Amino acid sequence: MDESDLPTWPPGTDLETVGTGVPRREAPAKVTGGAVYSSDLRLPGQLYAAIARSPHPHARVRSIDTERARRQPGVVSVIAGEEGGEGVTWYEESVPLFGPVARFAGDEVAAVAATSLEAARDAVRALNVDYEVLAHVVGIDEAQRPEAPSIHGTPGNRTTDPKVEERGDVAAALAAAPIRIEHTYRTPTAVHNALETHGAVAWWQPDRLTIWASTQGVTQVAQMTAEALGLDQSQVRVITEHVGGGFGAKQVPWKDVAIAALLSRRTGRPVQCAYDRHGENVAAGKRGATRQRVRIGADTDGRLLAIDAELVGDSGAYQTAGEAAALWGPYQGLYRCDNVRTSVTYVYTNTGPAVAFRAPGYVEAAFALESAMDELAHRLGVDPIELRRRNHTGVDQQQAKPWSSPDSLPLIYDRISALAGWDARPRNAPPAPGGDGGVRRGWGFAASDWLAGKANPPGYASVELRTDGSAEVVTTVQDIGTGTRTVLAQVAAEELQLPVEEVRVTLGDTAAGPPSPTSSGSATTPTMAPAVRAAAADARHQLVAAAARQLDCAPGDVTLDHGKLVAANSGSRTVAEVLEGLSPAAVHGWGELVAVDDSVSVRTFGAAVAEVSVDTGTGEVRVTRMVSVPDCGRVLNPTLVASQIIGGVTQGIGFALTESQLVDAELGLPVNDSLEEYLVPTVLDICPIEAVPLDRPDTGANQLGVKGIGEPPMIPVAPAIANAVFDAIGIRFHELPLTRRRVLDALAEAASPDESEPA
Amino acid sequence: MTPFDYQRIPEAAAVPAQLTPTVRPLAGGTDLLTRLKACLDRPDALVDLKASDLGRAIDRVDGGWRLGALVTLSRIQHHPGLRADVPALAEAVSQAATPQLRNRATIAGNLLQRPRCWYFRNERVQCWLAGGEGCPARSGRNEHHAVFDTDGPCVATHPSDPAAALVALGATVTVLDGGGGERELAVADLLVPPTDERRVEHVLAADDVITAVTVPSAPRSTYLKAMDRAVWAFALVGVAAAVSADGEVRLVASGVANTPWRLAGAEAALAGPGLTPEAIDRAAAAATDGAAPLAENGYKLPLLRTLTHRALTAVA
Ligand SMILES: Cc1cc2nc3c(=O)[nH]c(=O)nc-3n(C[C@H](O)[C@H](O)[C@H](O)COP(=O)(O)OP(=O)(O)OC[C@H]3O[C@@H](n4cnc5c(N)ncnc54)[C@H](O)[C@@H]3O)c2cc1C
Ligand code: SF4
Repeated sequence: MDESDLPTWPPGTDLETVGTGVPRREAPAKVTGGAVYSSDLRLPGQLYAAIARSPHPHARVRSIDTERARRQPGVVSVIAGEEGGEGVTWYEESVPLFGPVARFAGDEVAAVAATSLEAARDAVRALNVDYEVLAHVVGIDEAQRPEAPSIHGTPGNRTTDPKVEERGDVAAALAAAPIRIEHTYRTPTAVHNALETHGAVAWWQPDRLTIWASTQGVTQVAQMTAEALGLDQSQVRVITEHVGGGFGAKQVPWKDVAIAALLSRRTGRPVQCAYDRHGENVAAGKRGATRQRVRIGADTDGRLLAIDAELVGDSGAYQTAGEAAALWGPYQGLYRCDNVRTSVTYVYTNTGPAVAFRAPGYVEAAFALESAMDELAHRLGVDPIELRRRNHTGVDQQQAKPWSSPDSLPLIYDRISALAGWDARPRNAPPAPGGDGGVRRGWGFAASDWLAGKANPPGYASVELRTDGSAEVVTTVQDIGTGTRTVLAQVAAEELQLPVEEVRVTLGDTAAGPPSPTSSGSATTPTMAPAVRAAAADARHQLVAAAARQLDCAPGDVTLDHGKLVAANSGSRTVAEVLEGLSPAAVHGWGELVAVDDSVSVRTFGAAVAEVSVDTGTGEVRVTRMVSVPDCGRVLNPTLVASQIIGGVTQGIGFALTESQLVDAELGLPVNDSLEEYLVPTVLDICPIEAVPLDRPDTGANQLGVKGIGEPPMIPVAPAIANAVFDAIGIRFHELPLTRRRVLDALAEAASPDESEPA
Repeated sequence: MTPFDYQRIPEAAAVPAQLTPTVRPLAGGTDLLTRLKACLDRPDALVDLKASDLGRAIDRVDGGWRLGALVTLSRIQHHPGLRADVPALAEAVSQAATPQLRNRATIAGNLLQRPRCWYFRNERVQCWLAGGEGCPARSGRNEHHAVFDTDGPCVATHPSDPAAALVALGATVTVLDGGGGERELAVADLLVPPTDERRVEHVLAADDVITAVTVPSAPRSTYLKAMDRAVWAFALVGVAAAVSADGEVRLVASGVANTPWRLAGAEAALAGPGLTPEAIDRAAAAATDGAAPLAENGYKLPLLRTLTHRALTAVA
C-alpha cells in the first residue's frame, strides 16, 4: 500500500499511542551496556586495523617501507600506497584510497591488520614512509590568495564555480535602502566528535561482503562500498544495530569501511577498523569554517529591501558526498525580500574534508543573518521579534510556491514570546564599556528555517502479524540513536490498535528488504513513519478481509476493535483466532512512500530565546536559560522530540561558546585534536532547556503531518546567544566561538578603541 | 607505546634505589600513561608506587598538615579539615580535572605532571621540550601559553592547579633519594623552568621519590580558576592567595609561566598586611607587571588582574 492512499490524520485526530512519550526501546540495553555497537563486535578470528596517516598537510609519498612493520609480532597484513588501495578511489575527486599525494595532516597512506589493536598500532609506527613535503595552505582567506599552493589545480582553490542565485535587483535596492547593515561574519571549523568514532567490521567471504558499520545509512554504505570495490550491491550486506552518534558525519562511508574490507579480502578474516579520537578529529568530517560578507538593506520600518551575501566555506582537502552546506538557505528563504543575491564558494584547504553536520550551512548562515537582524532591530528601536513578524513570508520565494505550513513561524513567535516571558524581560541600561563591570545579563532571540525535515523517498516497510496477535515491523532503515525503532512501533501500534509492547521492530540491515533513506536531512521519521503506517494499514485490511471470510460477511461489515474483529451482526473473533484460522497463510502488510507532493514546499521552522550572563572581568559567557520552539509537525513522541531539541541546543551552545578546531598555519596541524582540547560542552556548561515543539500536524508534508526534528533545533542557538551577549554588554560579535579570549579582547578594545590589542 | 616491565616493590623506602632514567615511578598514572601512549616517554620499566607502603595518610602536624604522596585529589577535596584550614588547596584540587581523574590522581604525581602544550603532546611534533628543536608555540597557536618570562626556550605553562596553591601556602615536599637520604624542599624550589641541560620542569633526580607534602595552615586562602568551559579544562589563568600565620600575603598564578608564578609586583603593591579596597586595587593592577604576552594570549592579562582582585577580596 502506498502511504498516499491513507486517510490523513488531521489536527485533532484522536490517537492512542502516537503522541505519547513511549520510552526508547533500546534504553535498557544501552544503560546496561548490553547494546552492541560495531566497535564492540568480536567475531571469531577477528583482526584489528590501524591506519597510518600523513603527518604533513601536503606531501608526496615517495615510498613506503613496510618491512619492519610486517615483522612486528601479531601483524597479519599491511596495505600501503597506491597498490595497497587496489584501485579503490575515494571522495568526489576520486583519488586513490592511499594516495600518492597526502593533502591534509591525517590523510591515509597505509593500514595494518594485526591480532590486537595494540600490535596494529605499534606496526603503524614501524612503517617507514618517505615524504616529499609540499607547500600547504590552511584557512579559506589564505587558500583564495593567488600565490596559494594549488591543492587540486583549480582556480583560486575553488571546488567549483561559485553558486550564485539572485532575484530582483539587489544592487539597486541596496543603494536605495535607507538603512544598511554590512558586516563580515565568521564561523569556526567544528568537529562532530560523536561518542562512538567511525568504525566498521568487514568480513569478506568468497561470494559476499558483510559489513557492520557505524553509519547513518546502511543502504548508502552498501551502494558506495559495492561501487568502490567493484562488487554488485547484492553482494554487500550492511548491518547497523546501534550508532553512538553521527550528526551528519556518518551519512557517507569513510575509509574505515574500505580499509576493513580490503584487509578482510586479503586475510580471509573479519577485520575491525575503528578510528581513534585523533583520526575522528582530523579525518572523519567537520563543519567547515565560513566567511560571510553580508549586506542588508531595509526601510525605516525594518522591512527588508535587499540581501546580498557573499559566502565562502572551507571544504577541506576533498569533497564528500551527502548534503552540502546550504549556506544560501536562510538568506534566500527565511524572510520576505524581493531582492536577494547569494553567492557560495567552497574552497579547498590542506585540512580534513568537510561533511554535513547537523543542519549544514543553516547553522553557519543563521549566525550571520540573525545577528544582522538583531542589529537592525536595535538600530530601529523595534522589538526583535516584531521585526521578524514584519518580514514574514508564507511562500518559498525561490520556488514560488507556498510553504506546507505557511503560518507556523508567526505561531512560533507567539508561543516563544509567551513561554519565555519575552515582553517582560528586563531591559538593560547601556553598559559601561570595558571589563570588570562585574556580571551582566542579557536576552537574545533568533528565528530559523531548515530546508529539509521532509520525506526522502523511497521508504519501504513490512508488517507481519504473528499468531499470538503481535506484530513485527521490518525495514532496512537504521536507528542512529534518535529513537526510530520506538516511533515506528508507535505508528504500527496505532494503525493496528495494539499495545505498543506488542509491536517488534527489526531494522538496520540491508538484507531485510529494499533500500531505505540515509538518516540525513531529518528525513527518517517523515519517510519511514508513513511507510510503516501504510504497511500496518495493509495488514489490517488483510486481517479484516480474512475475518470477513471466516465470519461470512462483507469486509465492510467488519471492524477492528482493540484485538477483536467485530462483524455488524455475525459475532466477533479475536485477532489471534482469525490468524489461527488463516494459518499457514499469514498476514503480511506492505507499505511504501515513493513520492512526495511537491505543490508545496516543506520547511521546518523554529526559534530560540537565550538568557546569558557575561562576567566582564573574566570574559566568561554562561547560558543560563534556553527556550526552543521548533516546528516538526505532529509530535509522535514528546520524550524523543525533547531529546532531539535538548541535544541540538547543547550542540548549539558548544558551537556558540567553545567549539573550534584550531590549526597551526605553519605546520598545517590541528592542535586541539582530542576531547581534552576540542571543547564540547559538559553537563555543567548546559542550562535548563525548555523544549516546546509547536506540535501542529503539517498535513501538507505527509498524511501523518510529521516532519523531522533532528537538525533544526541547533540552528537558532548560536545567534540567540550572541544576541543575548550584545544585550548584556553592548558588544556585537561577528565571529564564533565566544571564548574568554574573544570576549576579553573585545572588552579591552571597547574600553580603549585606539589601543591595538594583540590579534 | 613501547613495551615496558611492570614492577611492584612493597617497601617504599626501597623504591628510590631501583629508579633510573628509564625505570620510572608510577602513581595514579593519569599523566604518565598518556605520555607513554603518545611515545613522549619510553621507559624500560615502571615501578608501581601504589603497590608499596608509600604514604596515603592525611595527618594534622604542628602548624599544618602532612599528606602522604599517594593521597588522591578526591580525598583532599572532601577532607573537612583541609577544606577549613587550607581552602586554597581544597579549592584548587576540586577545580582540577574531573571526578574520575581526581579519584585516581595523586598529589605528588600532580606536581610532577608534564605540560599540556598541544605541540609537546602531539606525537607528530618534536619540539624543544620533547627533545627536538624549536618552539612552534612561540609563533603558532599560543592562546594557552605563558605571559611571563617568555624569552626562555619554552613558553608552556605549568598545568597544575594545586601547585599554585601549594606555593602560595608555602608548602614543602619530602624527598627520599636512592642513597637513603631524605630532604625537605619548598614546592617553590621544586618547580623550575626547563633548561637546555634539564628539559623538565622540576629539580628532582632520577632516583628521587616524593614521600609527603607538608602544608602550613592558612584558613584565609583561596584559589580561583578561569577555564574555557565549566569543568574538565586546564587553567587559562588561576590565582591562589594565602594569608600566612604571620600575616604575610602570598599571591601565585597558574597558567601564566613555566612554573607557578609568584605575583611579586602585586604583593609589593599591597604594601602591608591591611587588605583595604585601595590596596587590593593597586595589587590587582600590578599583577601583570613584567608580563610579556605572546600574539594570542594578551587576554590573560585582564583575566589575571580580575582573578587577583577577586582572590584578594575573598581573603580580605
Ligand atoms: C583530561 C585531564 C585533565 C586534567 N585536568 C587537570 C586540571 O585541570 N588541573 C590539574 O592540576 N591537573 C589536571 N590534570 C592532571 C592530573 O591532575 C594529573 O595527571 C595527576 O594529578 C597526576 O597524578 P598521578 O598520580 O596520576 O601521576 P602519574 O601519572 O602516575 O605520574 C605523574 C608523574 O609523576 C611521577 N611521580 C608520581 N608520583 C611520584 C612520586 N611520589 N615521586 C616521584 N615521582 C612521582 C611519575 O613518574 C610521572 O612522571 C588533568 C589530567 C587529565 C588527563
Ligand atoms: S612551548 Fe615548550 S612545550 Fe610547547 S612547543 Fe614550545 S618548547 Fe615545546
